[in-house]
Amino acid sequence: MSDAKAVADRLVKAKRLNALLTPPKDLRKSLAIQEAAARPTGVLYGMPVAVKDNICTLEFTTTCGSRILEGYRSPYEATAVAKLKTAGALIAGKTNCDEFAMGSSTEHSAYGRVLHPLDKARVPGGSSGGSAALVAAGAVPAALGSETGGSVRQPAAFCGVVGIKPTYGRVSRYGLVAFGSSLDQIGVFGRSVHDAARVLSVISGRDPRDSTCEDRDPLRLPTVPESLQGFVIGLPKEYFPPELDPAVRRACDRAVRLMKELGAAVREVSLPHTPYAVPTYYVIAPAEASSNLARYDCVRYGPRFDGRVDLRGLYRSTRGQGFGPEVRRRILVGTYVLSAGYYDAYYKRAQQMRALIAQDFRNAFDRGVDLLFTPTVPSPAFKAGEKLSDPIAMYMSDIFTVTANLAGLPAMSLPIGRIKGLPLGGQLVGQAFLEDEMIEAAYALERVVPATDEA
Amino acid sequence: MSVSREEVLRIAQLAELDVEKEALPELVDNMSRIIDYVAQLSAVPANGTVKVFVPGPDAIRFRADEVTPAHLAFGPAEFAPDFKEGFFVVPKLGQFE
Repeated sequence: MSDAKAVADRLVKAKRLNALLTPPKDLRKSLAIQEAAARPTGVLYGMPVAVKDNICTLEFTTTCGSRILEGYRSPYEATAVAKLKTAGALIAGKTNCDEFAMGSSTEHSAYGRVLHPLDKARVPGGSSGGSAALVAAGAVPAALGSETGGSVRQPAAFCGVVGIKPTYGRVSRYGLVAFGSSLDQIGVFGRSVHDAARVLSVISGRDPRDSTCEDRDPLRLPTVPESLQGFVIGLPKEYFPPELDPAVRRACDRAVRLMKELGAAVREVSLPHTPYAVPTYYVIAPAEASSNLARYDCVRYGPRFDGRVDLRGLYRSTRGQGFGPEVRRRILVGTYVLSAGYYDAYYKRAQQMRALIAQDFRNAFDRGVDLLFTPTVPSPAFKAGEKLSDPIAMYMSDIFTVTANLAGLPAMSLPIGRIKGLPLGGQLVGQAFLEDEMIEAAYALERVVPATDEA
Repeated sequence: MSVSREEVLRIAQLAELDVEKEALPELVDNMSRIIDYVAQLSAVPANGTVKVFVPGPDAIRFRADEVTPAHLAFGPAEFAPDFKEGFFVVPKLGQFE
């Protein structure tokens, strides 16, 4: 149990990272109120959990890292946030992110980029970069993020913390600002597998307010296993291409060797449609985004940037000025692939490819594999500005993570070593709604892997 | 360029987005690169029989058809840019093309 003042002090100390969007004064005031109201019987009593700024809270503004929602206070809160509060957790401010969760570096925030806690010239990953950086800096033990294509696992890998994306439908999306509705899930960051897993278990479970949330009990936490006896781990060969960074390969090889030593059986598998995952994602996600972001009409909420007299002019000028360049680009790409004449060539084709990618995973699991192990990202954290002018290079950072979102599967990243001081992540992908097995394997691997040693 | 300047402007209109003149050349270039990149999907033989994959529950659960209160902590007057007497205030409609 930490008191509100100590929690706030730690967060304010990490200010230089630009990871928190909540002003210190608001944070201190709210934490004191929350502490007084927190239920001492809750399983997360007193645990501070920072929340990505695209998840609605009553305590703080929800801007999604965008000017178009500057100063916006939601009149309701996300189910995940309500569940955290019921469990006694303290909502420890809102974290900086790529605008509307669109990005892989947290450089696309209207409120400035987030610095990597170990090297300020580098990015913490994204889009949930603020949440990852705060956990890595030790400011909070856990944080909520959101995933559409890897926005929790990729920054977790870059920052050297644990990040879990649950199965689509495991956690309610009520109050998560929609980006790609068929892909979005709230995810969690933790200093350890256990910190992340216990927050996930609290926020999971049915919610009558989200019809895409499965009618299931909350996730039950597994115990830490003595060995990995009986586990069959698949290594998809498409995730270990010849051009993979040798340090990433060494770190993965070491993790695989350790899992074998713990008794796991390891075999190579193939997910043949993997090369098409990124192009598929960059059709489906922008298409859904263009539709979801149509709601920002500067009539019902958000500020207006007008200067013109008619309604249509008001829409266009506010949306044109309120959205940043990456969001504008994705809205336009999404509108393009859905427009008459292009729908069949792009959107329909991407939908078919998504089905084939999901089938690849089912085939692997049907052949007796329990879990897949892969690198989370092909490289360690890159330098700020390095990929800003080349959207495709930025998108390729998601190459190993988008598949789990397309297939709706649970996946997580945990630290497995370092290269020149920068963390590397290993990814476990599980079967739908079998997060417990995935977390069990992660517990075992976490205990033996030299996470802060050079690979 | 696989996407022309005119196409970008037309799409921007459909998306209700103003595009500044200075930003247009870069946007045309970026969009062309993105569209060229995702076009590799069309190299895959079309297979009309593939069933579309939708994650989530197999069957949508219908809620009871009844009005439920939204439980908002405060009303639209506090978060709308302009709200008067129960209405969102907007400028006049103008010309819709």
